Amino acid sequence: MNETAQPSWPDPPAAGSLGDGRLALARLRPETVVDLCQAVGEHVRDGLAIYPQGGTTALDYGGIPGRPGVAIDTRSLCRVIDYPHADMTITVQAGITAASLHAVLAEQNQRLLIDIPQADRATLGGVFATNTSGSRRFGLGRPRDQIIGVNFVTSEGIEVKGGGRVVKNVAGYDLPKLLTGSMGTLGIITQMTLKVRPMPEASAVVWVPFTSLASLGGTLDALNTSGSRPVALDLLSAPAARIIGESLNVPAGDWVLVIGLEDNATSVNWQINRLMIELGRADLTILQDEHAAAGWAGLTEFSAAELGPVSCVVSIRPSGVIPFVASIDPGRWAVQAHAGNGIVRLHALGDWTLDHAAAEIDRFRSLAEREGEGGSVILARCPTGWKVRLGVWGRPQADWALAERVKQALDPIGAFNPGRFIGSI
Amino acid sequence: MSATAAVSATTPLASRLLAELTAIVGAGNVLHQRDELLVYECDGYVVNKKVPDVVVFPTCTEHVVELVKLCNRHDVPYVPRGAGTSLSGGTLAVGGGVMICLTRMKRILEINTRDRYAIVEPGVVNVWLTRALAGTGFHYAPDPSSQTACTIGGNTATNSGGPHTLKYGVTVNHVKGVELVLPDASVVTIGGITDDPPGYDLTGLVVGSEGTFGVVTKVIVDLTRDPEAGRTLLAVFDTVEAATETVSGIIAAGIVPAALEMLDNLMIQAVEQAFGFGFPTAAGAILIIEVDGIDAGLDREAQLISEIVQSRGGRVQKSITWRTRKEPEYVAIWKSRKSAFGAVGRLSPTFCTQDGVVPRTLLPHIMRFIEGVARRYDIRIANVFHAGDGNIHPILLFDERDGEQVQRVLHASREILEECIRVGGSVTGEHGIGVEKMALMPRLFAPEDLAAMIAIRNALNPEGRCSPSKLLPSGGHCIERKSPGRRASA
Repeated sequence: MNETAQPSWPDPPAAGSLGDGRLALARLRPETVVDLCQAVGEHVRDGLAIYPQGGTTALDYGGIPGRPGVAIDTRSLCRVIDYPHADMTITVQAGITAASLHAVLAEQNQRLLIDIPQADRATLGGVFATNTSGSRRFGLGRPRDQIIGVNFVTSEGIEVKGGGRVVKNVAGYDLPKLLTGSMGTLGIITQMTLKVRPMPEASAVVWVPFTSLASLGGTLDALNTSGSRPVALDLLSAPAARIIGESLNVPAGDWVLVIGLEDNATSVNWQINRLMIELGRADLTILQDEHAAAGWAGLTEFSAAELGPVSCVVSIRPSGVIPFVASIDPGRWAVQAHAGNGIVRLHALGDWTLDHAAAEIDRFRSLAEREGEGGSVILARCPTGWKVRLGVWGRPQADWALAERVKQALDPIGAFNPGRFIGSI
Repeated sequence: MSATAAVSATTPLASRLLAELTAIVGAGNVLHQRDELLVYECDGYVVNKKVPDVVVFPTCTEHVVELVKLCNRHDVPYVPRGAGTSLSGGTLAVGGGVMICLTRMKRILEINTRDRYAIVEPGVVNVWLTRALAGTGFHYAPDPSSQTACTIGGNTATNSGGPHTLKYGVTVNHVKGVELVLPDASVVTIGGITDDPPGYDLTGLVVGSEGTFGVVTKVIVDLTRDPEAGRTLLAVFDTVEAATETVSGIIAAGIVPAALEMLDNLMIQAVEQAFGFGFPTAAGAILIIEVDGIDAGLDREAQLISEIVQSRGGRVQKSITWRTRKEPEYVAIWKSRKSAFGAVGRLSPTFCTQDGVVPRTLLPHIMRFIEGVARRYDIRIANVFHAGDGNIHPILLFDERDGEQVQRVLHASREILEECIRVGGSVTGEHGIGVEKMALMPRLFAPEDLAAMIAIRNALNPEGRCSPSKLLPSGGHCIERKSPGRRASA
């Protein structure tokens, strides 16, 4: 950091938001990677922090921006660099929106295996920087499983690449995975190569209402070894089910288990029948074809819902989901649990005080972080004034000291997204 | 190669070191006699050899911690080793020093099918976990051809693949976390049994780092549901070209097979001599094509694949319908495939297995190219590889006693790998850079890319004592080291 120049935060309107009410000193939207490198280099030399931005769908995600700086908007870097569809890979610039990418892939009947909310705004760079995923991660994998190459611009204004464009490659360190979920703190992602897959021939969203949680634990245990092979296993509380189910014409329930299936049509139909037998129920609502697509969209968009002042993501063992959910007041939290992965998304309902929220988040953390569990609670959103007390990332993890060394290696002056990520990063 | 031994056998340092090593792990877990050490002079990559000064076999994490502390005190380099099946010299003791052989840390610590993970020590052989999971309905997905010998620690170091990566991914896709003894001898757990821990994906960084960040002492892996059923087809072709075009055709048709493996004529002959599975020895190439999943949906896929095979002039000689991977015919066909490297021994006393990757659609091109190289250098090259991933394994046959032939093999290898780079591929899909391919790293990566990787390596392994001279070239000199354990920061 340049010690002689200590820029201060600008007054409104400044150059737009950096998130959490902090404003940018300037906003740049480079048209080329060369321009982006130059912009980073110049502003870092001026002692300014760099805040990468895409579609700004996660602008308030993370800690509060730590020092004054500039926003660098990647959205003009939105080209498809190479799409050898028969190789099932695509190389794109990071500013392309998820919706644009979906459209390109759909022309070849292919898709990216990540559920992305607000796809018309969200950029791929942002999706990977924030490690976005949704219901189908259970069967289709996480962002880290889809990325095989990455380019990013360091605080020296140099573009660095890792990985490559082929699906199997162990040359060098796996920088694509390191950058995935790095919250823009190691550099600005400018380009990535992704694995893509054929669209499934058939897709079904099976909607199963339950009147209580009591029998759900056994149901989920049984589904763990089901004859079917679900790609999603979501548990929804009544308000979550009501919002997601609004346009789907599905029955309400105190709890709803959503089982997602994707494969060829013969297989999907067989699996639906199989589930009916295993669950011992004939009253399943089965959404297929365009109804299934609407079901997936509802599940995906709900992950980014803003119902009350706080949303958080709890990560625990899959077998711990039902006991954990049972400890929550369903009148105060809307629940969407990716039960197969042990990921529980919670959206606060109604009015809250900071004290009440802090007590709840503390309680969640003490449950998730118990000895031997290694779970975590990440605060996805809350009022800016609550962030310090609630803590966005939770108790320090065992490997954060190592993470800080990696940060030091790639961004020694702390130029990128200061204050937003874990520890001193 | 001119690496200097860290400790020659008779110095006072050597005898003190030996005494202290023995005090840590016990006399039964130390090898230091020249004849005992010879086994450890190389791994599956036999072109470079270097005898370590001493080999130790820790049996617990605490041993590893004490060993690393000791090496630090004496400024001696060390290198972790599993079963030594690396094909790129990943476990070569470049600077001499202490080889930390993890094969006696071999316990499966926990299996939890409900939460779909297992925790194993690094010396657990890959197939042991598969066996331990038999009957549970779950398996550990990465299944390298050497799975009956290679360890999960070694798989983690090299990010191993195998025939079933096309659908299921490679090792990094199945490792949830590791316990790592860092070069400063501290122990850190990275990742864990739950998903998405806050922080960087250091698990992703450590997997495939070839031991350059420390010694992995536990691996937390995820477990995958067994498929309900499968179809394994043996397709026969007159030419390699027709087989590779079939591969492209299958992928282009939107089918993602569980495995898609190719053997060329030379390889078919070797395997058939060794196992007598019934492969057609006159065929130009065969493909083993496997689809798995829900039984009800598989016949259609198998039928579609058959049509694609026929449209490229091939024929399906055998179609195995299976419910478990234990059915005799299934076992036989995969035993033949996975033992292919061993069968090569019938063709030639020594061979060098290459590992390159091209975009899948360029397989016909690279196979023609390899044919040309074989002709130009007058070397026999057999091919057996993961066609669905574009991951080629040309096996160059030679006699290591003939120095001129060795040189031709090295040149031929280099030419094949450079062609992989030229067409947008990689010089290694699953074997790693090791010592063998460091010189090619600057061809794949720009200086600033390598500088970033070196910066990370130096941040986590600042003294460079852990696995020196691996993976990343230092300066313009690749594997030449004059003094062990000293590394100028890059």
